[in-house]
Amino acid sequence: MELAFYLSGLTAVLATLGVIANPNPVHGVLYLVVSLLAVAMVFFSLGAPFAGALEIIVYAGAIMVLFVFVVMMLNLGQAAAEQERLWLKPRTWLGPSLLAAVLLLTLIGLLWQGNTQAMIEGGGLTAKGAGTLLYGPWLLLVELGALLLLAALVTASHVGRTTPVAAPSPAPRDMPTQAADQPVPRTTPGDKPPNTGGKPPNTGGEEVS
Amino acid sequence: MPLPTLAFAYLPLILVAATAITVMLGIAWRREHHVTVAVSVLGLTLALIAQITAWHVMPLTTPLLAFDGLAMLGGILVLASTLACAVLAHAYFETFQGAREEFYLLLLCAATGGLVLVASRHLASLFLGLELLSMPLYGMLAYAFHERRSLEAGIKYLILSAAASAFLLFGMALVYAQTGELELSALMATLTDGTGVWGLAGAGLMLVGLGFKLSVVPFHLWTPDVYEGGPGPAATFLATASKVAVFTLLLRLVLTTPAFQGEWLHTVLWVLALVSMLVGNLLALTQSNLKRLLGYSSIAHFGYMLLILVVADGLAAETGGVYLITYVLATLAAFGVVILVSSATDGEDAGSLHYYRGLFWRRPFLTAVMTVAMLSLAGIPATVGFIGKFYLVALGVEAQRWWLVGGIIAGSAIGLYYYLRVIVTLFLAEPGMQRRDASADWAVRAGGLVVLGAAVLVILLGLYPAPMIALAHAAGNVVVP
Repeated sequence: MELAFYLSGLTAVLATLGVIANPNPVHGVLYLVVSLLAVAMVFFSLGAPFAGALEIIVYAGAIMVLFVFVVMMLNLGQAAAEQERLWLKPRTWLGPSLLAAVLLLTLIGLLWQGNTQAMIEGGGLTAKGAGTLLYGPWLLLVELGALLLLAALVTASHVGRTTPVAAPSPAPRDMPTQAADQPVPRTTPGDKPPNTGGKPPNTGGEEVS
Repeated sequence: MPLPTLAFAYLPLILVAATAITVMLGIAWRREHHVTVAVSVLGLTLALIAQITAWHVMPLTTPLLAFDGLAMLGGILVLASTLACAVLAHAYFETFQGAREEFYLLLLCAATGGLVLVASRHLASLFLGLELLSMPLYGMLAYAFHERRSLEAGIKYLILSAAASAFLLFGMALVYAQTGELELSALMATLTDGTGVWGLAGAGLMLVGLGFKLSVVPFHLWTPDVYEGGPGPAATFLATASKVAVFTLLLRLVLTTPAFQGEWLHTVLWVLALVSMLVGNLLALTQSNLKRLLGYSSIAHFGYMLLILVVADGLAAETGGVYLITYVLATLAAFGVVILVSSATDGEDAGSLHYYRGLFWRRPFLTAVMTVAMLSLAGIPATVGFIGKFYLVALGVEAQRWWLVGGIIAGSAIGLYYYLRVIVTLFLAEPGMQRRDASADWAVRAGGLVVLGAAVLVILLGLYPAPMIALAHAAGNVVVP
């Protein structure tokens, strides 16, 4: 089990290096997926299967797929097809695949041994344990996390807004001043803010969750 | 622990968070700038009252938070400066072309983070509080994102602050690796018998992360740009509430965790303090932009305050309280004047000093406020800044930290030059200069009242500091790990 821990840890470090060193965002994201899977393996080997499963479902499953989609969407255009062909070179996918293969071999090796309950040391962290901890003494932290995500969401939606909502025109002031850059026609106060659509700018919501 | 007592202690936190939710729901229903401001100010005022009444139930500890004197004083300062920021933001954003209401939502979220941070006694609540304090600030700094500088300030703070958080987390991981504890008191118990190399490295990395937020010298490079670029109220919040919260936390860490009292870390703190004092003051000398100047001045002030962390015994907590009060009052007054002269519609904030040339001949009382703020920041007697400096020097002399005392004196001497330069500018009239002005009725509006109140307090507490000293003394006496 120690071997699994260290192998997954090494994979995580190498894959993260791949994220940083890669000039192409899609390749970086692929490496990031592998890195997150490796961290999930680390959780499994430490006896926290719940955290490991969450890591795979939430990060590798949901957030990273979103990342890949967004990055792909931004690359649409004339050059996209050419780009796609370039991506199919072995140099591109070999690295992430190799690292993923290490993870797979570790997993298979562990399953081969047949002892699925093994862990390095300490007690296991189950879903129930995590739940009673989070909604018992650590309830405050859950609430703070919620507020944090709210702030991140509001920031993203505000900065991502393309057209400003209605505001009164500048009041007359003593000094002549330059007007704001884009005065827009007023809408009624009850109107919804315009939908930003497209990709909300990433303002760090992911980094903390 | 009886539940009602605990509820009293939590009440300010709950009130601020509830106000944030109310503001959010209000925005979803109907956008009304005045109503949003009124709700925010009402919520913050109630929270401030609750914070003051909660004084009677301290000291109180939960696994995550400690409600002791330090937390109470820090909470009062954070709430008061948030309140001032909200009122000043009303004047600033009145004619802003764009959504104005979200700013208050972000402000309230950040205030919640500040309240958690000043009371946290657990590394988890420390980190979440710090992130909750910083995260809304990205949005607040980039709020006028049509302005290039505002967006630049937001992104700069986002990236550098994320890097600082990474340092902080890594430091926590190292401390945890050595001790297996996240609670500060348990950390203390484990670390008492020798710190060990991991714990020391962890404490050092945490110091880097927190030093970034305080902008002490090797980590200060973001400060002037962010202060200059961000909208006035956001910069004010950054300079007052955010720094107060982080410093209170650092004070608690230093007072209660032995890893921070080792010789090696003391030397690091000592050097950081001296360098911050000198570099902050020297760089401020050449500034022609008032907001940048205030940024460098805050670097120097937190350099002075690091002396408190170096000494960390006896009078230290009381000195910290007094100096924080003096710093917050003077900074609020100075930034308030900048905000009143600027407006979100005028493009860039009125930062350049030449906007203020001859302000006295147009707005004499506003000039008086600015003069008082500058004199207090310089530490002239009869202002509150003098009391703070006096306490610091007394603390340094008592602990026989002669180098740091020398640094404070040299720094104050350099500081005098640029603070007085600002004052001189205010009184010089020259026709044909480019000018910006506060609206004619500034003094009877809420923002003007806040600025005037801060200036009056600077003078009053400078002449009769007993209430402030009593408050800081009461706070400094009750510090539980």
